[in-house]
Amino acid sequence: MLGRRHCQLFSVNTFDNNIIAPLGVSWSLDPVSELEQRRAVMTSSPKVAVYSLSDLKNTTDDALPNYLTSLKVAQNHNHTDVRLLLGYLAVVVSGVTFYFDYTLGFDKTKYWTAWAVAAYFVLNGLFTWWIWRVEKGIVFQGSVKGQKLLLYSRTEKHIPIYHLTARYTSPSAPSLWQEVQLQAPFTRWFTADGFFVAKPFQQWLASEIPPIGQADPGNVVEEIGRGDGSARAMNVQPGRVEEVLDALKDASGRMAGSQGARSRRKA
Amino acid sequence: MLSALSSLQPRQLAAQVLNFALVLSTAFMLWKGLSVVTDSPSPIVVVLSGSMEPAFQRGDLLFLWNRGLDTQIGEIVVYNVRGKDIPIVHRVVRRFGGGDTPLRLLTKGDNNAADDTELYARGQSYLNRSKDVIGSVVGYIPFVGYVTILLSEYPWLKTVMLGLMGLTVVLQRE
Repeated sequence: MLGRRHCQLFSVNTFDNNIIAPLGVSWSLDPVSELEQRRAVMTSSPKVAVYSLSDLKNTTDDALPNYLTSLKVAQNHNHTDVRLLLGYLAVVVSGVTFYFDYTLGFDKTKYWTAWAVAAYFVLNGLFTWWIWRVEKGIVFQGSVKGQKLLLYSRTEKHIPIYHLTARYTSPSAPSLWQEVQLQAPFTRWFTADGFFVAKPFQQWLASEIPPIGQADPGNVVEEIGRGDGSARAMNVQPGRVEEVLDALKDASGRMAGSQGARSRRKA
Repeated sequence: MLSALSSLQPRQLAAQVLNFALVLSTAFMLWKGLSVVTDSPSPIVVVLSGSMEPAFQRGDLLFLWNRGLDTQIGEIVVYNVRGKDIPIVHRVVRRFGGGDTPLRLLTKGDNNAADDTELYARGQSYLNRSKDVIGSVVGYIPFVGYVTILLSEYPWLKTVMLGLMGLTVVLQRE
């Protein structure tokens, strides 16, 4: 049985869309890969509708900060906080207006209601402006080892390509912003039936964006593939060699046995 | 669906709830804004009875304007009977005062045999333009208001509608 599992390990190293290392099965050959598999299992549980672009984008956008915070990148929530502040302030203004209008009647509150309506639409306008111009698709803002990092994502209507813009500084020049624009089709990290696989997504991020690559050098690879990275190395450890040889012997023994039977019959 | 909601972090959940709250509060503020502009506590009303036929049918939506304080005979006004919260839509048939003295109006439904003296509160025999009238009709859309009639006759419909709306806005992430 162990021999067969090894054979399966060798055959998973393809780039066929449908063959993916089944996650959740502990194929631990060494401790590092087990950690990565566990990380991958955590993020791959929800199944998305593969043809829904917004589902794909949202799942990817949700996975991104999860991955980065697991690398101990400090996340800055400023943009979300400002948006929530503006939004809830507007809601509070309308709530207070409703309360006073309900209890005191229209005539008494006419004057203040007029001001409240004006204030509400000003706040709403600021809120909309914040989302549209300042946020502009930001999915992550943070810093790692003195380098500031901002990530913006977008997709174009009905085209399943994930566009990511990364702006970062280097510790030696903290006011100089560099920008990298990446795109990749969602098929790189989604299986055909809609499961998100973290490993190729992490490899893509680490290989293309220098600050992330520095924080996670294990994921920087030349060619990004699917499944467990250690599978490609085919590192057969000394203890396992005997089992592989046994399996090979069994297989050849079966063939030899059938040949022997044929020769016996002849004789 | 709900499991996707539970897997959100607090900030994302707050953002989704904010979307729903903004829908409600924008609708409310638009209503209040219209109210302030027309100077009427209820700028859009629905005709509930057939007393103004053939001009207005039950279920018509009426748009009111309350800044024309010199109401003429023949204008259609909406007023609240003192002490009751039901708005009535009838036509002005007599007016007294105006200018220095407060304007007083007598109304009558086109489809009614008698004028509104019996509809007014006890002891009241005329309407005060500034206190009782909430606006005069400047436009209407036929039949659209029937939804409001349904909502008021079956109040559970309001809860159902609001609940469905809330659920769809909070759960979707388009």
